[in-house]
Parts: sequence; structure tokens; C-alpha cells
Amino acid sequence: MSAAAPGLRAYRRPGGGFGIRNHVLVLPSVVCATQAARAIAEAEEAVGIVHQHGCLHVGDDLRHTEDELVGTAVNPDVGAVLVVSLGCETLRGKRLAAAIGERGQTVELVGIQAAGGSARAVAEGREAVARMRAALAEQEREPADLGGLAVGIDAGEDDSLAGALAVALMDRGLRVLMAPAGLRGAEAHVTLAGLGAQLVLSLPGPDDAPIGFAAVPVVAVGRGSDLHRALADDFDLAIDEGSPVDAAEPVFQQLLAHAEGEPTAAERRGARDFVLHRLAVTM
Amino acid sequence: MSAAAELKLAGFRRPNGEWGVRNHVLVLPARAAANAAAESIAAGLDGAVAVSHEWVGAAGDPDAELVERTLAGFAANPNVAACLLVAVSAADEGLAERIRARGQRLELVTMAEHGGTAGTVAAGRPLAERLVAEAAGALREPMPISALVVGLECGGSDALSGITANPALGIASDRLVAEGATTMLSEVPELVGAERLLARRAVSPEVGRRMEAVVHEFERSVEALGVDIRGAQPTPGNIEGGLTTIEEKSLGAAKKAGNAPLTGVIGFAERPGEPGLYVMDTPGHDIEQMVGLVAGGCQIVAFTTGRGTPTGSPIAPCLKISTNTAIFERMEGDIDLDAGRVLDGSHSLQSLGEEIHGALLAIAGGVPSRSELRGNREFAIRRAGRTA
Repeated sequence: MSAAAPGLRAYRRPGGGFGIRNHVLVLPSVVCATQAARAIAEAEEAVGIVHQHGCLHVGDDLRHTEDELVGTAVNPDVGAVLVVSLGCETLRGKRLAAAIGERGQTVELVGIQAAGGSARAVAEGREAVARMRAALAEQEREPADLGGLAVGIDAGEDDSLAGALAVALMDRGLRVLMAPAGLRGAEAHVTLAGLGAQLVLSLPGPDDAPIGFAAVPVVAVGRGSDLHRALADDFDLAIDEGSPVDAAEPVFQQLLAHAEGEPTAAERRGARDFVLHRLAVTM
Repeated sequence: MSAAAELKLAGFRRPNGEWGVRNHVLVLPARAAANAAAESIAAGLDGAVAVSHEWVGAAGDPDAELVERTLAGFAANPNVAACLLVAVSAADEGLAERIRARGQRLELVTMAEHGGTAGTVAAGRPLAERLVAEAAGALREPMPISALVVGLECGGSDALSGITANPALGIASDRLVAEGATTMLSEVPELVGAERLLARRAVSPEVGRRMEAVVHEFERSVEALGVDIRGAQPTPGNIEGGLTTIEEKSLGAAKKAGNAPLTGVIGFAERPGEPGLYVMDTPGHDIEQMVGLVAGGCQIVAFTTGRGTPTGSPIAPCLKISTNTAIFERMEGDIDLDAGRVLDGSHSLQSLGEEIHGALLAIAGGVPSRSELRGNREFAIRRAGRTA
């Protein structure tokens, strides 16, 4: 199998498996901590997530949101995580950091109220991220088995092209995760990353625009609609809807190139979106 | 009284007759697919601010009307001199039209006409630069206090919220209303238990009924979800701060609205009518409600906090008031004003109320709030229609 993938080199993770990126993720536990998280990430060239969640969730939605944040943080493309907490939020930062640590991820926590304000929290957070980056910088890509690469496919239900591509990619030795029913686009990216996909293959519908994601690279494939042609620069590849068999090999090669480190169109334009599927409205 | 107050205020008069206290150029993505383009256009451009968000705009999304009203209201806030809307495709023209219909100066750049993000940034940047240059020509003029709309918010409440900061803010609110301004209370979940007290102050039976109705609708929606609100309200931070029940939190929260008559009850992101005290139907979530208040025309938000919340809006200054001195000192540089001083007897609630009133007018006149100095610009999209 690995002979079929002479070029794939990736970052080994302590728990087994590998990542195709080596991000330090700065993850706010709540929207109120996003400004501090953004300041830390920008200053230290880490990947900062900006989201609007973490407070006044009810019922299963709290657990669901926490699971999505934890899943994103423990994705193999993430080498280390800094959780930035406010301190009074519903989704407790301390608990979030502990849950991430229990999954074997390197994690530190900075709390804005605990640190004594946002300026001190940003200073503490920058130190933590600088330490994590220095540790990760020593790591180099090593040969990795293609069978350890999980590609999440974001496509509509009953999408025959996506189905054909999934089969073709599995035939070439990759693992494939299909987005859960009813989840599309950016929301699906979060869930797929949480399931362990190191790479997302996104097949937006004809009237949908491509969208990036903070934690794992998204490879956007256009399928020839007017909108996709008009947004050609934001796609990584355009394929002919009519002949999925012909499309499979170019898609596979494109995925491998991005797995080896070539930035995707979304990474090049700095699209770090994080759109969360919610189970209930905010109170 | 009002003539003296008018002399104190100076703002930016907009062509549609509204008055801003700030002069921002807003670079607004119509949908999340335009976030990166909007951020790149505004990057490093003084006077312009981009607002990324999570609205994907999926076909048939039941929240489309609510979200469009929110985005249009936000873009049309008079603190915004002009808006550059970054559209994905022609499908976003409805939002552009809606912003224009409010009398806001709008430029539009559409990604589908420029091949994607890179071309959109190249085309949008000169437009943003032009809008910033135009806005820079606007000068402050004497502004009638009747044009001032102040949001009344609390976040990270503790047991002192209802004793120090909220009643002091209520005194400031009463004075603003007496002078002819508008103030706006929100966060309906945190008015549960206080609805009758507010309804009794309504200017008409209809307004009183609407006040009780929004709280009862909220309670019914929670029942319909089949969840226990006590999992979320009060929050863990509220409880650590000494609050025990939502009713206790509510009675303290309502004090932000002082004793003025209740002029109206409006929906999320809706604009108030005649000056006076209003209640806007928003969730308790600090950022969703602040976005709703600003989309409803608030130029400033007063925000009391017991636990310490460093919050602000991309386009509106936020005056933060601590309920206790310890958190004011601890969160160095995040909080503008300490209402905890009422506890050591050195200040009366009345004097703190006057101080808050003065601070709000100073901020309206151009003094930056801590949130602005810190660069706080949180944003959130309110969802209402989608539940599991």
C-alpha cells in the first residue's frame, strides 16, 4: 500500500496516525473570548478560530457544541491547542481544555477573568502559543501510509458524483468519511474534522459558493455551474459533472498535492471559517 | 433642559436624517463565503472595519428574513458612514437593496463578477478607500439628544448587579429619557419574572400586553424545546457570582431601565419610534443581543458586568460598568467605570448615575470607550427558526 504512495509525507502524532498540517489552534470557548484569541493567533501566526457560540446553550445543544469544538481541536492536523476562556461562560473553558487533553492532544488554557483582563490573557496566551510553535517547529514530515489519510466528503445527499468519487478514492487506498445526512458546506466541515478527516473534499451544489475552514484544508471542486465558473479562482479544481470516472484521478492527485502541503485555494485566501450546526437556538 | 443637553452633543448627520456618533466604513460580507474577501479589503485600512459571520445563506433557511433584517439594520446604523457590501452573487442583491432603502450609502462588489476572492479584493479595496476618504470629510455638528439611542445591557452578572451597576445605569437611563433620548432594554430571558413590573409602566395597555406577551412567548418556546432553562440561566458564572435563580437575575437586570415609562416593545433588530424607553425582544446572549441593539439603531451600548466581560461592537462604542471594585481593578483596562464605589459609601447611586450619564455623552462626543481602545468587535448572527 505505501508503495502506491511514494510521496506522502506527514506529521506523526503521539497516539498513532498523522496530520497533513501542523497547526497551533487558538480556540475560544466562547464568543466573548474571540477578540483575545484573534489577537493571540495573529501575533503568533497561529490558526485562530472565531465563532459566536459557548454561552446560553440549552439541552443537548451544549454537549453537542462542546463535542464539535473538542473534535476540531483533536483533529490530527492540529499539533497543539490553546483554549481561550472568558470564565463565566456556559461552555466552561476549563472543562473544554480537559476534554481536549483527555483525547491525547497537547493543550493549554488561558482564562481572561482568571488572568486579570484581556491584555494579560493575550500576553499569557502569546507565550503559550510561542512555546507550542517552537516545539512543533522541530517536527518534520515523515513518510506516511496513504491508508491513514481520511478524506471527508462534503456533498449533498444522493449526489452520484460524490458517491462515485468516494468509491474511486477508496479504491486508491484512502479512507473516506461522508458528511452526515442533512449537513452541507461549512457545517459539514466541522463535523468531518471532528470525525478525524485530515482533509475535506468539498463539492458545493451548483448555487453554492466554496467556503474555507480553520482547522483542516478544504479542497473545493467546481462542477461547471454558472456560479462555479464565475468563482473559478476560489476552487482548486473544476471537473466535468458527466464523467466521474475521468474525474477520479485528477481529484486524487489534487488531494495528494494538498496533503503534502500545497496550500488550497481557501488557505491561500485566508478563509478560516467556522460555521457550527446548532441543535437549539441560543437563550 | 433639552437646549442645554443639545449643546453637549455633537455627531455626524447622515443624509437620511439620522445621527451617528462614530464614522465607520463597514465592509460587510453578505454571506460567510465572502468573509475572507471582506477581511482582506478592510485589512490595514484605518476607518474601515470588516465583520465576518456565520451566515451561509442556504436556500430555504427559515431564518433568512431575520438575518437579512439584522445585517441590513447593522449596515444602516448611523455610526456607519457608508457600507461596502461584499456579495457572492446576484442572489445577494436583495440585501443590498434593503440597505439602500434605509438611506444608507452603499457600494457593492460581487465576487461572481471578479472570478472569486482575489479579484474581489482588488476591485473592492479602491471602493473602500474611496468611502473612507469620503467619510473623513464628515464633521461633527451639534446633534439633538432626541437622535441618541443607547442600549442597556448586562453580561456576566453577579449578586451585586441589581444593587450597584444596574440601578445606577437606570438613573442614567431615566435622565436620558427625560432629556428626550431613547434607551433600550433587551434580553427577554433575563426579564422573566420582571414582566409585570415593566408592563405596569407601559404608556398604553397595548404596550403593556406586548411586554407580557414577549416574556410568555419566550417561556412557551422553552417549554416547546422540552429543556430546562436552568441549565443555561443563570449561567455558571452568574451562580459563582452569587445569583441563585433566573427571577433574581431578572429583577436585577430590569433595574437598568430605571423608572421611566415604557414607550414600546419591539422585535429583534427593529427600530424604535418616538423617543423614550423601549424593550427589544432579544436573547440573553451578550453578543447576539448587542448586534440586535445596534441593528435597531443604538449608537452606544452601556454594559454592566459583575464577572468581567471584555465586549464591544465593531461599529458602536460600549461603555462597560463594573458592579464591584475588585473586578474593575482586576480586569485592567477592560472596564470604563466602577459602580462598586457605591458599596464603601464614598458614592451614592445618584452620583454614579450622573457619572454614567456624563460618560455616555462624552463617548457620544468622540471619547473612545475601553472596548474601542481594546479593539473588541464581536459579532453573532441571531438564529430563531432552526431547532432540532
